[in-house]
Amino acid sequence: MRAETLKGHLDGILLAVLEPGPRHGYAIMEALRVRSGGQVDLPTGTVYPALHRLERAGLVQAAWSAAGGRRRRVYQLTPAGRRALDAERSTWRDFSAAVSALLQPAPPAMSSP
Amino acid sequence: MSGPGPPDPGTGPTIDRYLAEVTARLSGPPRGHAGIVAELRSGLLDAADAHRSAGLPPDQADLTAIREFGDPAQVASGFTAEIAAGQARRVAVILLVTGPLVGLLWIAAAARLGIRIGLPWHWTGLSPGLRVGILLVAGAAGVTAWAAMLGIAGTGRLTRWLPARPRRAPTAAAVAGFGAVGADGLGLVLLAAQLATAPGKLSPVPAAAAAAAGTARLMLANRAARRCLASRAALT
Repeated sequence: MRAETLKGHLDGILLAVLEPGPRHGYAIMEALRVRSGGQVDLPTGTVYPALHRLERAGLVQAAWSAAGGRRRRVYQLTPAGRRALDAERSTWRDFSAAVSALLQPAPPAMSSP
Repeated sequence: MSGPGPPDPGTGPTIDRYLAEVTARLSGPPRGHAGIVAELRSGLLDAADAHRSAGLPPDQADLTAIREFGDPAQVASGFTAEIAAGQARRVAVILLVTGPLVGLLWIAAAARLGIRIGLPWHWTGLSPGLRVGILLVAGAAGVTAWAAMLGIAGTGRLTRWLPARPRRAPTAAAVAGFGAVGADGLGLVLLAAQLATAPGKLSPVPAAAAAAAGTARLMLANRAARRCLASRAALT
């Protein structure tokens, strides 16, 4: 799946990936790949600016940690981020239900006798 | 939050070269880049480690991690809006904090001029030119304060609900900066005029302090406003 296809949904997807717990950049990428069954494969470097934007909006918070000898920036959801994720989910459910219904092949038109 | 710290010792030359290419393309002043580059480096090293564990030879692992990361120009341009927003926010905060301080000095300098709390036409003993000048300084200070608050609002929590317009905050910060240039510049002109005509009515110590602080803020605000305009222009 290309970046353009995901446009507008990346924020919600990143929040969802952080829902189970704090993760650093590489772990977020890995979770994107695994949870999408390999379908989401963005240029890794483009995800970091999105994380910084979410941080500025107060939806995630980040801190440097030095676990395992390497310093990494670890992101975690804030309460506001959790609420934003819930909102994103319900918007997506409505949207996808409506589009699925519209894209379904229509039953053949009844022929008049 | 602590700083990015020293570079990771395990960086291979390929990853260093790649990061240097990204760094060269990042917008804004270089001192803001260290944290970004440190974070990208740790991500690249983690990815390269994962490829190595999966069986790739070290240089192949580095190259694969770099390929997945994306084109350096694309990675760097992804940060342009974030860097501009951070810069605009810093400028707006500094202007909003220093405004009242410098303003108080100006007020202290003018304390003996006969300005009383009240409407401008009740001010006694002031030439019409000085009255208009003081009103213009107050107006420019007001513009600065409003634009700075807009710049701060447009780069913080409110961005959750505001439509994404990357140029809004740099524009507001530049307006605030030029507003401060106007307020301080005009204040200095009025001070010079007063010195030339009736120096006895000025309180010397506050006047000197106001002149120094006003000049410093004018130069700082001018440079900051130009930087914000430059980063605004870099946003498409």
